[in-house]
Amino acid sequence: MKKEDMVKLISAEGFEFVIDKDAAMVSQTIYNMLTSPGSFAETQHGEVTFPEISTTILEKICKYFYWHLQFASGKETEFPIEPELTLELMMAANYLHT
Amino acid sequence: MGGACSRKSDQRDNEDILHRGVSGKYCKSGSSKWLATSFSRPAIDIQLGRGNCPPLMDLCIRKICEDIDRYNTFSMLPRDISQQIFNELVYSQRLTDVSLKAFRDCAIQDLYLGEYPGVNDSWMDVISSQGSSLLSVDLSGSEVTDTGLLHLKDCTNLLALNFDYCDQISDRGLELISGLLNLTSLSFRRNNAITAKGMSAFANLVNLVKLDLERCPEIHGGLVNLKGLSKLESLNLKCCNCITDDDMKPLSGLTNLKALQISCSRVTDFGITFLKGLHKLSLLNLEGCRVTAACLDSLSALATLLYLNLNRCNLPDDGCENFSRFRNLKVLYLGFNEITDACLVHLKGLTNLESLNLDSCRIGDEGLVNLTGLRHLKCLELSDTEVGSSGLRHLSGLANLESLNLSFTVVDDGGLRKLSGLSSLKSLNLDVRQISDTGLAALTSLTGLTHLDLFGARITDAGTNHLRNFKNLRSLEICGGGLTDTGVKNIKNLSYLRLLNLSQNSNLTDKTLELISGLTELVSLNVSNSRITSVGLRHLKTLKNMKSLTLEGCKVTANDIKRLQSTDLPNLVSFRPE
Repeated sequence: MKKEDMVKLISAEGFEFVIDKDAAMVSQTIYNMLTSPGSFAETQHGEVTFPEISTTILEKICKYFYWHLQFASGKETEFPIEPELTLELMMAANYLHT
Repeated sequence: MGGACSRKSDQRDNEDILHRGVSGKYCKSGSSKWLATSFSRPAIDIQLGRGNCPPLMDLCIRKICEDIDRYNTFSMLPRDISQQIFNELVYSQRLTDVSLKAFRDCAIQDLYLGEYPGVNDSWMDVISSQGSSLLSVDLSGSEVTDTGLLHLKDCTNLLALNFDYCDQISDRGLELISGLLNLTSLSFRRNNAITAKGMSAFANLVNLVKLDLERCPEIHGGLVNLKGLSKLESLNLKCCNCITDDDMKPLSGLTNLKALQISCSRVTDFGITFLKGLHKLSLLNLEGCRVTAACLDSLSALATLLYLNLNRCNLPDDGCENFSRFRNLKVLYLGFNEITDACLVHLKGLTNLESLNLDSCRIGDEGLVNLTGLRHLKCLELSDTEVGSSGLRHLSGLANLESLNLSFTVVDDGGLRKLSGLSSLKSLNLDVRQISDTGLAALTSLTGLTHLDLFGARITDAGTNHLRNFKNLRSLEICGGGLTDTGVKNIKNLSYLRLLNLSQNSNLTDKTLELISGLTELVSLNVSNSRITSVGLRHLKTLKNMKSLTLEGCKVTANDIKRLQSTDLPNLVSFRPE
């Protein structure tokens, strides 16, 4: 796997998730960060920090990205959401335009 | 706050009226019209599947709505998110007076609770807690009373309020909201308690753009209070039979008025003279008023008029020469009048017309020659006229025609060839007894048809072969009695069908239900008076979108249908026998 195909998402606690760029770009916000012509630090280093998103939530978000790709390729399964995460997850989804 | 200024909350209904005017009414049987009214309310409709991947946001909202009892408050959420949760709860009918409490102080902007079950004064506390954020509230059909309106006093940024069918609101309630000076839209349809006295509250509401008092029978004398509402653009007084010529006088200075509806009132030609100065008026509905052709004299001063409804005014030919002055008109309704071919001569020059209604007028083949130049016509209503086959040749050049109603005319198979070039045609009503398979054969080039009504036509199994050309059909009615299961084989591949009426074909059996079980888009099905039995119902299990099912006069009981509804057809809301 080439390094430029991957992207690093960093949670509020500093936990790093290295995932496919394609998956991360399911988020409109991340997509804009990684593709905007200006010199966002994120574009150059392939790293995005989310000081407002906890590790638990960011992990769930990453799972959603991959679920989304599967869904788009025809594998239509249910995406499980734990009730205790819902509110926080929703705030993150709102921020990430996901 | 700034966002409040650019909202266009008042536009929807105006367009709705115009739209209905142009493309509404597809057929007389009423069953197709039903398609236009949805049982669902307009809100976000989150659906899984169908290839569209649901955003995480939608999944979360759905999840919250499923577990709504877990949440005590949403006030920590950004208001646009609370708004989405609220909308989804309303849409999925999960909102109750208990779950409503979680929305206290959420700064929500729009609360659309129209026709929502159980809404009463006890809901008003949470509603009003949105405070200055609240911009629009729809409580139509609720139990809210004057006392409930007291709560809204401090929601001073309110722009739109809808209290249609709230029969417990009276003059006192109007007084309580008279301080909401930012209101631009206000609606109180079918209210018996509002009188001229209470309407003095309207005089304060100088920002009103739209006022709807349809079916308010006690408002005579109250319109004087509108005199100073110089921003008023739309006034609906439909079916207020108390409204007289005197009530028109205070409207004469409302020069921003664009839409005025006074159908079924007691206004006469004299009252119409007061409208001469409304130089921005584009929509005027006078259906069922006691006017004569003399009112056209006053109206011809209104150069901006685009939509004129004069249905059911008993207009004779005398005076109709004035129609020739309305060159800008796009929509003209003249149905149910005494006019004859002699009147149509004066419509010849109205080349901007897009919709013309001549339903039940005394017009015939010769008169139609005057329509040949109306090249922009999209919708033509000739139902219940004396038009026959020889008149149809005058329509063959109307290339833009999208909707044509020839029901209950005297056209026969021989004339339909003249329609074969109308390639824009989407809706065709041929509910005519003398039409048969031969006539249908002449129409096979009309592949764009989405609505075809052959209700009373004598179509047999052989004729259904021609239906295969109409792949885009959304609605189809064939109720002449000549169909058997064999003919239904040609219907089973019309996969876009949403409405199918095959009633009165007494030879249809359960086999028919089996054949159409693949028409999964069906929303409405009628196979009344056939040999369908309860055994055949199982074939309908696949039709998950079904909202209306009619099987009168069959060996099917209400309980049979109810069972099917509970196990397989969750969307079914209307069925017969019931």
